[in-house]
Amino acid sequence: MISRVADHCFWFGRYVERAESTARMLAASVSLALDAELPAAQVWRPMLVVSGEEDEFRTRITGGDDDAGAWGDGEIVQRFMVWDEANGVSLARSVTGMRWNARSIREVLSLESWEAVNELHLWMRSDAAPAIYAQHRDAFYQHVRRATQLTLGLVRSTMLHDEPLDFMWLGVLLERVSQTARMLDVHHHAFTNLPRRHEVVETALWLSMLRALSGSEAFLKRAAGRVSSEGVARFLLSESAFPRSIAYCVHSAYDRLCNIRPPDHHTLPGGISLERLRVLDVWVRARENDPLTGTAVHDVLTHVVDEVHEICGTLGKELLAGG
Amino acid sequence: MMQSQSQSQGPVAAGGLFDHYPAAALPGTFDEMFDGITPRTPFARVAQLLAKMTPDELSRAQALAETALLQQGVTFSVYGDARGTEKIFPFCLLPRLIAASDFARLERGLQQRLRALGAFLDDIYGEQKILTAGVIPAEMILGAAGYRPMLRGLRPPGGVRIHISGVDLIRDHDGTWRVLEDNLRTPSGVSYVVENRLISKRLFPRVFDAARVHRVDHYPTRLAEALRSVSPVEEANAVVLTPGPYNSAYFEHSFLARTMGLELVQAPDLVVDGDKVYCRTTRGPRRVDVIYRRTDESFLDPEVFRPDSVLGIPGLMRAYAAGNVALANAPGNGVADDKAVYPFVPKMIEFYLGEQPLLEQVHTYVCLFDEDRRYVLEHLGELVVKAVDEAGGYGMLMGPQSTEAEREEFRRKIIAEPRRYIAQHRIELSACPTWIAERGTIEPRRVDLRPYILTSREGPWVLPGGLTRVALARGSYVVNSSQGGGSKDTWVMKETTGG
Repeated sequence: MISRVADHCFWFGRYVERAESTARMLAASVSLALDAELPAAQVWRPMLVVSGEEDEFRTRITGGDDDAGAWGDGEIVQRFMVWDEANGVSLARSVTGMRWNARSIREVLSLESWEAVNELHLWMRSDAAPAIYAQHRDAFYQHVRRATQLTLGLVRSTMLHDEPLDFMWLGVLLERVSQTARMLDVHHHAFTNLPRRHEVVETALWLSMLRALSGSEAFLKRAAGRVSSEGVARFLLSESAFPRSIAYCVHSAYDRLCNIRPPDHHTLPGGISLERLRVLDVWVRARENDPLTGTAVHDVLTHVVDEVHEICGTLGKELLAGG
Repeated sequence: MMQSQSQSQGPVAAGGLFDHYPAAALPGTFDEMFDGITPRTPFARVAQLLAKMTPDELSRAQALAETALLQQGVTFSVYGDARGTEKIFPFCLLPRLIAASDFARLERGLQQRLRALGAFLDDIYGEQKILTAGVIPAEMILGAAGYRPMLRGLRPPGGVRIHISGVDLIRDHDGTWRVLEDNLRTPSGVSYVVENRLISKRLFPRVFDAARVHRVDHYPTRLAEALRSVSPVEEANAVVLTPGPYNSAYFEHSFLARTMGLELVQAPDLVVDGDKVYCRTTRGPRRVDVIYRRTDESFLDPEVFRPDSVLGIPGLMRAYAAGNVALANAPGNGVADDKAVYPFVPKMIEFYLGEQPLLEQVHTYVCLFDEDRRYVLEHLGELVVKAVDEAGGYGMLMGPQSTEAEREEFRRKIIAEPRRYIAQHRIELSACPTWIAERGTIEPRRVDLRPYILTSREGPWVLPGGLTRVALARGSYVVNSSQGGGSKDTWVMKETTGG
């Protein structure tokens, strides 16, 4: 397929996943803030860290003040993460990005998928979205999540399962690896450094984080109800049957890239990305039985995030419009 | 407002929804649907069915139609808007009807016209016999902005130059159809023809069923066939070339690519190597044989046309000259749809085909001719003066509505550059019943018609339908979408089979 079109497919997938993920994390934080008995900043600040926009928030919203009330003000953080057009990962920007890429490949998407994307875009720009946001916050996030999940479902059920879909899904999966990795890293660090470790609070926090990753039920099934920081970390890193674990996403991304660029077609472009993703896949799976003590979780996640970043760069050069 | 719910039977008056319509008729204007208070015979059944609807039903239907168009993204981009605002092309849900016998005559006339225009382009880029014979003054042609001397002697792959055309037609005060202008470069609007039909079928299933209307949804299939027919190779790889999502007609470009199952490419996706065109893909370069290009030809190839263009594909014209790629439409067609060349089309039909023109056109004064120019300058207040190289309703003097200062300005321009101006008497464009949403009423509004003609190796084919543009503002003659025009679905009726 045309490299430029592949690029739009890839970024379409990333933006859809990012929009869904942002809405899910914000909804989980709203719920957590209600009964976590945590200082508010410890609920909201991690959201900003996970999104990678902590610095932007500090300079633009708090005026550089690390003790400003804004860090713990859920309304300010949510406005920044939902509506702020200058915040590159706000929901508004993700929806615009998803729709812009979709419109650029309108002829590639199925009619059903396109309408789902376009309706979300029009809704976000209508008066209805801010009204629901003001009156019924949870319903707002629910709406965004439903629309993005519907989109991902529709591309799978109404489009040809060939290259464009592989590129979209590659984008979804690589975005998801980063989201899961950053989410786990930030929270693992915060929770294991709580001043007074309290089992009930910690359990509530882990479950909230799992909910933010749509993973609490899946985790409880695997862990038979036992919640521990190591158990959660191992589940999110290595559970090969959970579609948001790092092992699952990296392996599926590798599968998708194999469809796009079969490993035995040595003359086709994409070989460097494919090899790098294969190595990462093997490496992640080899971590399955490593002890997760000390900084082990952080080290593993840092490696994953850095590698995914590099792989996206190589993909851009080899297969997408950057080449 | 209460509308009477009269269940009028028989052919006399449609009544109901149309109760107050005939009174609003525009004086001196042909009404396409009604003759006085009586619906015209071929449309009586449709008029009766529509008349039974209430203004409330129409309001709801109109709102549904607009929502559907917006949600499907059937929009055009508004230039100069940084937020990338998109608007729907205003749509009037009351269809414009065309009788079977009328369309049959139009079809033959359009085919004849396209055959003559194709022959003219072959001649102008070949031997120029029509100039030697003195049928058209040579300076008229060789001085046209659309004439490309570098294309002379070049035979396009498949021998076709006007693969896709849109010929704008109007009806005058007595209902006579006339050609207003030819669009032989990159005519747009056909996507609205197909989309408008989808909507009116959803809104008026029973009326539509009773009307017996020709389908229009096979246009993309016919277009794909026409494109394949001119390919230099057997298994053609055809693509649609768009300037990109910021172009106002981007929806249509993607619509056509999607409905033909072809790839939509932008100039940077294409590369020329060894006089062959390739597309950059994730599996390396792939040959391209036919390009349906929706970019203006000035931006096709910076090596040939505009060196400052960053939009083009360097070397494309070399590949074209080598016969390795077909371009639809062929570059150079602008010389045939020039407004100053238009007055000579009837002569072309006689010269190339030895036939009498089947379609009337509008009498045109060519300011280059002394006698015509003298007449125009003496009658500026009665004429419509048009610059030959402008479109979309710009660069015009509407004489009857003009001010003394405007007329003075055009007088100076005409004297300075006579080749650039033509003039015509204003035509009382025909009117159709149109839903006026703000007032919840039906009023007559002026319309034109752009039918689409596809030409393959086998010759021209006319889509039985077309884009009806309607001047939505009361009293307006300007149907262009950039100036407050809207569109209607166009129902070309099938021949009645005695039932």
